[in-house]
Amino acid sequence: MIPRPDADSEDRVIFLRDAKFTYESGVEALKGVTLVIDKGEYLAVVGGNGSGKTTLAKHLNGLLRPTGGQVLVMGVQASTRTVAELARVVGYVFQNPDHQLFCRTVHDEVSFGPANIGLDGPEVKRRADRAIAVMNLSDIRDRPPLSLTLGLRRRVSIASVIAMEPQVLVLDEPTTGLDAREADELMAIIRRLNDEGTTIVLITHEMKLVAEHANRVVVMMDGKVVLDSDTRGAFSDLGLLRRSKLLPPPVTQLAHRLSQIGVSKDILTPQELVFELTRGDDQ
Amino acid sequence: MTGFLDLYSEKDTFLHRLDPRVKLLAVALISVLAFILTELLYLVVLLCFILLLLVLARSSYGKAFFALKFVVRFMILITLLWPLFDRSGTPVLFSIGPLDITEPAVWRGATSAVRVGCFATVWYILMFTTSQRDLVRALVKLGLRFDYGLALAISFRFIPTFGLTIESIKDAQRARALELDKGSILRRSRNYVSILVPTIVYALRTADTLALTLQSRAYGAFSNRTYLREIRMRASDYVAMTVVVLILLLPALAKYIYGVQI
Repeated sequence: MIPRPDADSEDRVIFLRDAKFTYESGVEALKGVTLVIDKGEYLAVVGGNGSGKTTLAKHLNGLLRPTGGQVLVMGVQASTRTVAELARVVGYVFQNPDHQLFCRTVHDEVSFGPANIGLDGPEVKRRADRAIAVMNLSDIRDRPPLSLTLGLRRRVSIASVIAMEPQVLVLDEPTTGLDAREADELMAIIRRLNDEGTTIVLITHEMKLVAEHANRVVVMMDGKVVLDSDTRGAFSDLGLLRRSKLLPPPVTQLAHRLSQIGVSKDILTPQELVFELTRGDDQ
Repeated sequence: MTGFLDLYSEKDTFLHRLDPRVKLLAVALISVLAFILTELLYLVVLLCFILLLLVLARSSYGKAFFALKFVVRFMILITLLWPLFDRSGTPVLFSIGPLDITEPAVWRGATSAVRVGCFATVWYILMFTTSQRDLVRALVKLGLRFDYGLALAISFRFIPTFGLTIESIKDAQRARALELDKGSILRRSRNYVSILVPTIVYALRTADTLALTLQSRAYGAFSNRTYLREIRMRASDYVAMTVVVLILLLPALAKYIYGVQI
């Protein structure tokens, strides 16, 4: 756990205190999760299928309500707010963009959220224009979103959420089905949003994304947080990752193999490995 | 939600092993019997018999409770409402304003409620003990065109998937601050468009993929298709069929030939 002496600071955007959730079917998806997310963090929630990461994420904007424990958003009990109210603070991008696109043009689609939160016309337009610009969609703003490629549809769906200008952006597996270039472009945009101050919560099981982008990793297994550390620390325990059904990026696996000859185990990128190996030559 | 749509649970009881055609016949005949019987007592006996079969089908308590909840509510509603509309007969038990509640009407209401209860629960026996696949197989065996049988099976198969997708679509739109139950009627109906369009698009895409899947598995390539699993009547199935027929036939004979009041 990262120590947080300033636990009551205003930087804390989300606070889960021993949150539990049991589905109606009786499946216990969260078994007491305590998690603090600060403003401006780039947090990755990782874990195998069925580990509870999506259930956790759905608590952040009130789509699910904890059956035990508490969820605080901006210091306010989430249970006292509607999803629509929470959506202004926590934007949630669903994995499948086709579950939300329905408008005739990209611009209409992106305006839907801001209009729902009761903003006036000019403000809706300003926010929609900004979101379209951020997601590089200006050229296709008048095209029907449903006939775009998956990469573009995903970008439209993200634009339609960031148009509400939430402080926290939750992304559920944003790179599923994208090719390497589309994924890189998307992740670069998300990186930029984070640089501009948006808190990012990335739900994924693709550890390469985590290694390259996140500042902090929360590993979930069986409805519990089993590891909460900075990204480097998360990759040093291969056994834990394997138990959580996760596979670190190839370069980290290689570094672990090379650890006998003195390579550090917390390598995240090829550049770091090259640096480490050339340094090894000097010795 | 999905539990409602697939009531079947895998068990090994005589009801599960029974030929689905016999079960279909049993459901049909018991429904007819519920029509023939007019005395409350006999209808209650029939309902108890059906409930006994449900117990023997070892259906899970959760599913049985879920299924019977609706039936019981409906039965209570009928019992309460019937006397309000049926004011014939004497003696009058009591009057509420212009409404006379008569004793025969109360009995008739209860009788109808039990009869409806029989109709509804007897279908549950079929649903609890027969997989959708077997049900479709039986219908095809009984002469339904295979295409229609397949269409039926596919629709059964996709109802829960569809339900989950619609839930997910609703959540996705709520995450964009959509409030379905707020605003004027016009606003509300416009809000539902945001659910409806993705649902229809999803349905069309699924249908498209499904058609390709069927084609790639050579569906319709040969007019004389064969079946991996043939359902065949066994001796026990014939015994069960005889019993079921008798259960209908004996009361029917008693009533229509011998004029017994049942």
